[in-house]
Formats: sequence, structure tokens, C-alpha cells
Amino acid sequence: MTATTPWSPNSFTPAHPSYFKVKLTTWAITWGVILLVTLIPGVLLLAGVSTPLWLAIAAPVLALVIALLILRILRRQVLALGYLEREEDFIVRSGVMWRKQVVIPYGRMQYVEVNSGPLERRFGLCQLTLNTAGAGATAHVYGLPAEQGQALRERLVSAGEEKML
Amino acid sequence: MSNNDTWQRVHPASPFVHGWLAIVGLLYIYWQNTDELSFAERFAGDRLLWTLGLAGAALLVVLAFYFLSWYFTRYKLTESHVYVNSGTLFRSQKQARIDKVQGIDIAQPLVARLLGLAELRFDVADSSESVLRLAFLSKADAHALRQLILERANSGTPSEARVLTDPADPNQADPNPATLPLMAKVPIGRLLASLFLQLPIVIGTLACLTMVILWLTGVQGIIAGVLPVLLSFGSWFYKQLNQGWNYTASAMDTGMRISYGLADTRQHSIPAGRVQAICVTAPLLWRLVGWYKVEVNVLGTKNDDADNFQVLPVGDFESVTRIMGILLPDLGVINQREVLATAVSTGYEHGFIGSPSRAKSLSPGAWKHQGFLVTDTTVISRYGWLARTATFVPHSRVQGMEFSQGPWEQKRKLAGVRLFCAGGNIIGHLHQVDAQIAAEFTLAQATRQVER
Repeated sequence: MTATTPWSPNSFTPAHPSYFKVKLTTWAITWGVILLVTLIPGVLLLAGVSTPLWLAIAAPVLALVIALLILRILRRQVLALGYLEREEDFIVRSGVMWRKQVVIPYGRMQYVEVNSGPLERRFGLCQLTLNTAGAGATAHVYGLPAEQGQALRERLVSAGEEKML
Repeated sequence: MSNNDTWQRVHPASPFVHGWLAIVGLLYIYWQNTDELSFAERFAGDRLLWTLGLAGAALLVVLAFYFLSWYFTRYKLTESHVYVNSGTLFRSQKQARIDKVQGIDIAQPLVARLLGLAELRFDVADSSESVLRLAFLSKADAHALRQLILERANSGTPSEARVLTDPADPNQADPNPATLPLMAKVPIGRLLASLFLQLPIVIGTLACLTMVILWLTGVQGIIAGVLPVLLSFGSWFYKQLNQGWNYTASAMDTGMRISYGLADTRQHSIPAGRVQAICVTAPLLWRLVGWYKVEVNVLGTKNDDADNFQVLPVGDFESVTRIMGILLPDLGVINQREVLATAVSTGYEHGFIGSPSRAKSLSPGAWKHQGFLVTDTTVISRYGWLARTATFVPHSRVQGMEFSQGPWEQKRKLAGVRLFCAGGNIIGHLHQVDAQIAAEFTLAQATRQVER
């Protein structure tokens, strides 16, 4: 199935493969904590506190099912990320279920931000955010190798000065 | 970019201003847990040693955090940019172009004021998200830095964002408003009628009536529920009433001037050049009488609430055309009036492209209304079910564009495009149009919006 999108998915620079590990770790931590919380009724039941049996079973099962469903599309989500530098504007794409392509003209950029969390730094990655005066017009680039992120930031800043509208 | 400017650190007391709550919190926890002790007991014998030891340790931890936070917060001012780096664990590097800075506020939260510190807030646009903060500097430094940035901004290239010196205070009265040609006026009767024809009021009134009837038929305590409902609707109603009372709009050389107010008369001038997007709305019941409301995104208006800036509380199609003629003189078509008439109603004349019938199951009420038209200067988009909306976004005002396709849209080969603008919440929205058309529109619009 070829999706109808303004720009072909192949023309984008994809996120670094190790960004998947970042997402996977985040997923494991988040859902690990949620699963632990849902196990509380079961523990209480074993400890002899009267707890509804269905709650002790249904809650962890539900959490597990949702977690696995998310895990299934996690890799595709990472593969769906990408950015494209064009002559006059910058384009990012994202999303598997909710596909998006965001176009920001260089001339409308207000500031560029490079952020890196502890997990991302571990894998030598960073994320870049491009802000404009419009509330919704913000582009996020995830899973950039650190040097590539700095270089991209420099390029964007100079393009913004050059193409100022 | 000149590199002779060096990185500088903020005032060492800054983290304390952010984090004083932590210290107060620790003290509070200590006090709570030693509640049963008398004052003398707290500071006697072994307990004194423990208390001091633990307090010292806690203080060290807090100070370490403060130091790290201070150490990693740095700023730099170059000829063209302001850079702010912050964060210990989550590091962030922000920068703003000085010539895009629209205003610099100096803010002093309570604790900062006590310490003689000030925070600089760079209003790089008027959307709340794009604010760059530099906290904290000593008050003198903050003023000096602000002055320096303003000077650099004003010596730069001329641009329309040149409002730093605030040339025209919108609240200052013009020489004589009475001599300006009148564009629209809202009679009080129409204003009241229009307010009561809005769904929130209808629902609120019905809810109140139901409660009163229930109370009369003997349900106890229900009257207590009426009061909060009345209060919240009352304040909403008063705001609407205040914004529309004695409303007049008149034309000026550069745009329009509006005045309104119940208790005190407020005046605003809206330069046409600062209008970013226009939105014409027809709520469900207003459609019966052919009334519209016009709102705009305009740069440089400090709006205290989330509402859009209203330039016509209620008016007929004639008033709408007159106001549109001022705020958006060039719609990019020859038969401006006819196109406008199609834009605020429903229909596919003059080249409007609508949602295909595949969209029927997704938006049964709105699919016939949804549609868009691209003119030489503007994108007109229509959407909305109960309140039908038409937004007008000039190509040169588009800040960014988002092509999006949800799972249900993918199945039906539909897609949407949003056009984001500065100065408010109004966006252009091509809702559920054919995916192929949406993709082609996005490609073409990307070229159109960067044309000079």
C-alpha cells in the first residue's frame, strides 16, 4: 500500500537506529511501573486482604495487552520519523496511525532548541525543536546523533537568517 | 555571528528563587514530624546532634542541586542572537533572533523582588510557547541587558515586527473617533438576542429551569446546584455583554478602530498589516437569522484570556463584507463579494473544493460544509458542524503547515491540512478532503507561502 503524502517517505533522513533503544527503554520503564501498580491487588489478595478477584487478574492482563500492542508498533514509529531539508523550508514527518508531515519555512523560524535527556545522551543522541511564532507550528526532530544535531542547528540558524521573510 | 561575546552566568541566588519552596517544604516536614515535642526538647541532648546533622546533610544536598543548576545556566548575547543554556540532567540550549524579539518584559516574582533580582522574558511572538526566559539577574543588570538588546534590535534591519518602542499605544484616544467612517454598530437589542441564541446560554437556561421545577416539585437541596451554574454562566454572559455593549467599528487609514464596554469604554486600533488570520463564525441558531461573528489573530495584542480577538460580536453579511474589506482588502479574486458569500455559507461555487462523500460517515453533520478555496493571496477554509466557521489565512502569514492523516482517514483516502498562524488561536483547517488533493495542496502551498 502506498500512502498518499505530500513528500515521499523515502526522501526523508531517518532517525538514528539506536533511537529505537531509547524508545524501548522508555517503554520498558513506563510499562514496568504500570504493571507493578496493577499487581498490587494480587499481592493484597495473596496477603489475605479481601480484594475482588477480577481486579487482581484483569488489571495486569489489560496493562500487559496494551503494553504489547504499543511494543508492536514501536519500531514502525521510529522508522516513521524523519526530516527533510529543502531550499526554502524544513519538513519533519512522524506517526504510523496518525501520519503527519509538518512544513516550516526557514524564514518563519524563531528559535531552535537542542535538548538531550540522560537516556538519549547515553546513546549519543539528541532532539531538536524548531519554533515559530505560531502556537501549533513547531517541528520536533527525534533521534539525531549529537554532532549531526549541532550541525543541523547551525544550518537551520543560518538558513533562517538568509531566508528571512 | 560574532564570537567575541562570552558566556555569562546568571546571578548565584537564582536557584534559590526557583527552589525556596523545597527548603520551606523540608522545614515543614521536620516541624510536622516533631509535633509532639516541646520547643526545649527539640534542641536538647542527642536530639540536637541528630537534628543538626540531618539538617546539614539536607542543606548540602539542596545546595549541591542549586550549585549545579546555577553552574549549567549560562547566557550569551551576540550581535544577532541571544543564547540561553540551562538544565543539569535535561540540558536545553535555546536561542532567539534579536530582530524577531517583539518585546522584553522584566518580571519580578515575590522572592526575586525581596532579593533584588529580576527575570527577563523575551516575547519572541505572542504565543505563550515561544517565550524565552532568562532568570535571574540583578535588577540593574536586567535593565542594562534589556536596553542593550533593544538597541541592537532597533539598529537591525527594518521589519514589520518593529514594535519594541511601542509607537502607538492602542489605548490612546484618536483625535476624533466621531469623524471616522462608521463600519459597523451593534444595537443593544441585537446583542441581547444574539447572546440568547447561543447554545451555552440555551443549555444553561434550560438547566436552571429544570432545577427550579425539580425544586418546586419537592426535591430538596437542588437549589444549591443552581447557584454555581448561575455564577459561571453569569460571568460568561457578562463578558460577552461587556464586549458587545455599545460596539462600534470605524475605518482608519491603517486599519480599523473598535470601541465597546459596559462599565468603561475600551478602544483598540487594529492595523490591517498586523492581522494574521480572520475567522467568521455562524453558531447554529444564528444561521436562522443570518448573523456572523468575526474574530482575528492580531500581533501585539495582549489578551488576558484564551479567547480570540473579537472585531465584530454580531453582525449581518453586509457588516462582515465591510470589515473584511478593511482587514483583508485583497482577497485575491475579482468577485470578492460573491466568493465571500460562498465562504460563509455552504456551496461549491467559485471553485470551492469540498469533502468527498466518503467523509460522510466521519462527519455526518459537517461534511457538506467542509471545503476550501485557494486564491492568489489567501487560503479560505470552512469547517465545523454546529458552529460553522470560515477562516481566511493569507499565504504570507502562514507560520507552518501540518499535513495529517488519522487511521479512519487513511481507510477512506482522506487527509487534513492545518495552517498555523501567529497572534492567536485561529488556524486554517482543510478538514477531511481527498488525500491526493490535500497532498497536492501541501506541495503547492509550501511554494506559495515563501513567495516574496
